[in-house]
This record gives sequence, structure tokens and C-alpha cells, in this order.
Amino acid sequence: MGGGATDASTAPPYSLPPSLFMPEDILFCVDIGPESGRQMRVSGPKGNNVLTRLDAIKQALLLFAHAKLTMCMDHRFAFSYLGSSFSMVKEFTNNIKSVAEVVRTLTTPDVLSEDVDITKLFEVANCEGNKSRALGHLFRVVLIYCRSSVWPQYKWPAKQKTFTMDVVYLHDKPGPDNCPQLVYDALGDAAEQVSEHVSYIFETGQGLTRILFRHMCILLAHPIQRCAQDDIDMPKPVVKRVLPGGGDGTMGEERAVISNLFKH
Amino acid sequence: MAPHPPLPPPIAAQLNHLLAYSPLPFKVEQIWSGCRNGRYSDRFTLLIPFCLDYIKWDVIFSAYHPSAVPDFIFSAEDVDFNPLLEAHEKEAGANGLAVASPLVDWNYKDPSRLLNLVCHLRDSYVSYQKKKAEQVDDERMRFEISTVLARKGTEIFVASFPDRDEVKFTIPIPDLEFNKLVTPCPWKQEQKIYLQASFVVAKGYTTTAPVPRLKLVSTQDLKPFLNVDDIKLIPWSDEMCMLTYLSDLEVKLNDQVVEAVAGVAKRRRFIEALSPFFGRPLEADPVFCRRASVLGISGVFTFLVHFSIPLQFPTKQPTLKLESVQHFNLNGLPIVSSPINDYPWSPRWDNTEMAERIYDFLVDECLNFKKYCSEKIPATQ
Repeated sequence: MGGGATDASTAPPYSLPPSLFMPEDILFCVDIGPESGRQMRVSGPKGNNVLTRLDAIKQALLLFAHAKLTMCMDHRFAFSYLGSSFSMVKEFTNNIKSVAEVVRTLTTPDVLSEDVDITKLFEVANCEGNKSRALGHLFRVVLIYCRSSVWPQYKWPAKQKTFTMDVVYLHDKPGPDNCPQLVYDALGDAAEQVSEHVSYIFETGQGLTRILFRHMCILLAHPIQRCAQDDIDMPKPVVKRVLPGGGDGTMGEERAVISNLFKH
Repeated sequence: MAPHPPLPPPIAAQLNHLLAYSPLPFKVEQIWSGCRNGRYSDRFTLLIPFCLDYIKWDVIFSAYHPSAVPDFIFSAEDVDFNPLLEAHEKEAGANGLAVASPLVDWNYKDPSRLLNLVCHLRDSYVSYQKKKAEQVDDERMRFEISTVLARKGTEIFVASFPDRDEVKFTIPIPDLEFNKLVTPCPWKQEQKIYLQASFVVAKGYTTTAPVPRLKLVSTQDLKPFLNVDDIKLIPWSDEMCMLTYLSDLEVKLNDQVVEAVAGVAKRRRFIEALSPFFGRPLEADPVFCRRASVLGISGVFTFLVHFSIPLQFPTKQPTLKLESVQHFNLNGLPIVSSPINDYPWSPRWDNTEMAERIYDFLVDECLNFKKYCSEKIPATQ
């Protein structure tokens, strides 16, 4: 475990100033195009389980909702999907059983879709965002996208930022027949254009569920309490601290060494 | 509430306005129709907050005449509560014409009229109970009642029985001004603490002064900031009277409030001290600083740690809960540990040391938890 100064040392230290807390209303938009049916890579002894991207996404949604509700019972979730077009599934709920029921209904359609447009998603987000704001809630979109060669189109006014959008991008390894890097860049641009607060975008081409789950957990971060994506310093390792060998350190010295070790 | 046909729009407007704009927390217990199989409901039971309890009044409209002023049916115990007669007697003296104006002035098109009327009747009820209290046949009680009634906002409730009267006071503690103490103020309604004092006054000759049963009650939303159940009340002694007791109580409560404000700051600093060890918390309570959640990793095992910080922090240590990111139960929900609060702790440590010690504890504990999760359900990789 190395020490030394890194990016995070330029970021201001974490502080929790007094402010009102806004419970979140989070609209998930799940890409259920054909590529969501691709298999995840299953490592370990349980190799016989066939898990599609959509299966992993469904599990990740339950994980997210449960963790968020454990933090605060007032957060709420709504679900929508992106097939050849955008479609709402269910309005907001903070009941984990309802969440589980809705998530269970998400399935991959057989329809082959070329272009995909998320203007409707933004329109719904804008409208719902106003309702959430009236209730003292913060509205957020989490887009989970799976296509390696097609990025979503949208028409949205440049300065209109009435909600925040995070993106999780699951894709194939880059090759001659796809362009995940271009798709990633387009998704990032879209998120930056529409987002009112700090938005995060994560990608994985490895197909490992634990990477997906880890990304989803970082997205648990409340947008108003976030740092910039470059300054993210978690998850931090929770492992035995390496103390300096030889000599008696004072309490103060020991502490100084420890905090150096954790700057990364 | 049992399902019921809808209220006609003018009546619904009156009830909705009352529930939305009342300064007190009125509730509706049930709504029903005056006719069997009626198309519309036109009656409801209102729960009127009084003396930290509720009294029930039935409000009787008519679906056939929705513009008419409603009738009220008061509680069976309040047989001699007659607000119209009182108004009649009061006004008759003044101008010879007896009217209770909110009833005569009724205008169904103005949705605020019902709220106005109910508040008016409630004020009459407060006076009615005060008069009942003044008739309690005990010189000592009458003294207590007269001194306490002078305090603004006091309510009295008297229940009479053949052998005794039960007199209950609810006295708001003044000048606590919670809504100004916490900035920004998270409370939409004013937060208050009340002293509830219940006396049982035996009828007939008695030498002993009644000893009250005392209780502190607060508005519900105050609990994350200050829990009155934790405050030990000064015991009542023979030389006391309500006024002196209240005055000592006010001093004590002011001290508690100062401590509560300091408590928020202490908890805030503790949450901030978590970050060098655990990374930036995913989410923390920025108002009362009662909770924070962080994401940790040990090898390839990722997990959440939820901190729940008690009001008695740092005397009492935070409770921890671990949640796996990779292990799910049969319902597909992540596995969570039971609450942990028996790890090494001292209130004398500074915040950094507290965070450090929790970190060290979790190094082994997260591996125990991982083992527990693996044994419970196979991990999905």
C-alpha cells in the first residue's frame, strides 16, 4: 500500500456543513436492448451460472435501493426502460418489496433497435424534477446503458439543468466492430449537459458483477454531498495499518504516518 | 380508514383546507354517508388535539344540502359543553341579539370556514374545561389551577368521577425557541416541550395535598435533536407548587437545550473525522448528524458501513451495521449484520482516535462478516 501525495490532496478536505437534507427521488432508466442480454463473465467455482447483463443490473438495482433505504427511509425510486424507445414502468415508491416486484418485470425484448433517443427521458425527468422539488426532494436519473456501438440521441436546451444524471455503462471489449470509447464520451457529454449537480459516470467492459456492484455503490453518494469524480477516494481499503518499523513513535507521529498512507 | 364514497366538492374543500392549514394537528378518524348506500359521504369524525390527547367530534354535513352549515356532535362525556348557549349568553348581554357568528356567517364557497368554526369551538372547549377546573372542590388545587392558568398556552382537562376528580394540566415550556436554535431550520411546525401534570383530587375531606404525576412530552419531530424521555425530572416534594416546579424545570431544560446544540456539533466533527480513514461518506445527515454511511473494501470484498450516532454521543458509542455488496439472501436483498456496539470505546478519545479505533476494529470484523455472509448464502461473483 503506497503513500505519497496524489490527486486527492488538491481536493478540499471533507466537511459536513449544516444544511437541509433533501431525500432523493431516483429514476432508473435501464437499457433493455439486445446487448443487455449478453452474458456477464462468471468467475470462481460457481461457473455454471449463466448471468446476463440485465440479470446483474436487476440485482444491482435491488442492492442500491436497499442500501439507500437503510441510510434514509424517505428516498424513493421509480423505474423506466430504454428499448427502441423510452418507457416508464412504475412511479415513485420507497417500499423495497414494490421495488423488487418492478425489477423482476424487466426483460430483454427481441426487437433489434438501431438508434435510441433519450429526449423523452429528459422530458419526464424535467417534469418529475419539478414535482420533487416542490416536495423538498432532489431528483436524479441513473441511466444504465449497454450498447457498444450506438450512443443515445437527444434534443435538449443547452442551459436547462433541472436534474442530475449518473451513467453506468456496460460494454464489450473494444474491437474493430464497435466503438465503446465514443459511446462513453457521448454519454459523459450528455450527463454533463443536463446535470444540475455533480454527476458520475462509470464504465466496465470486464463483465464482472462485483465491479458493477461497486460502481452502483459509489453512485449511492448523495449528489449534494459529492466531490468531483476525479477526487473520489472510496472505497478505501479496510486493512491492517502498516506501522513504521523500529523506534518508539509518539501517538502524533504514528497518526501522521497513517494519514499519509491513506491519501490516494 | 375504511373505504367510503367521496365527499361532495364543497364539503371536501372545507375538510382539505382544514387539514392543510390548521395550526394544530387535526386528524380525520372516519368518513361516512348519512344515507345507507349514499352516493356521497357527508359526515366525518374529527380528532381535535387537546391537552396532548384528542377529543372526538362528529361533523355532520348533508350531501343533499352541501351549502348548509354543519352540525356538531361532541363527546358523550361533555354533556354540558354548550358553546352556542355560552355565546348566546355572552352576546345577549352585549346587544340583546344572540348569535354565534361563525355559524351564522357560514359561506360554503369559502373553504376556510370550517377551520375557522372548529377553532372557534375548540377555544370554547378550552374555556369550558377551565371552568370545570375552577369548580374542583379543593382549595389547594384551585390555587394551583389559578397560578398555572395564567401561563399562556396552558390547557386543563378535568374528568369527574363520584369519588374523585382527575385534573390534567398541559403546560408549554416557554422561550425554548427550537426553531431558531437549529439553522437552517428543518422543522415546518413549531417544536415545543410540554410538562404534563396529572392530579387526582379525592372528593370529601382530606388532609394530604395531591401529588401530581409528572411527564415531559415533546412534539414528535424534536426527537432526533432532543429526547425528553432521557431527561430525568426533579421529584416532587411536599413544599412544592406548580409555579416553583416549573421555574426549576425551565432552568434544567434550558441547560438540556444548550447541551443538545453542542451535541449536534460534536457529532458533526466526528462524521468529518471518518473521512481520512474511510473515504468520503456516501451520505450523512447534515441537520442533526445522527447517521453516516461509508464504502469500504477488504481484498475483493466490498461492503457498506452504516453509522448510527446516539444523542448521548460520545458517552454512548455509535452503532455500526455492515451491509455486503456481494452477498444476497433468498429475496435478492443484500445481507446486513446485526447492530454492533460492543467494540472498544472511550468517550475521552478525540474524534481522530475514535475513527481510527473503529477502523482497526472493522479490519477484523469485516472479515468475520464476510465469512458470515458466505456461510449464509453463496456469493454471486
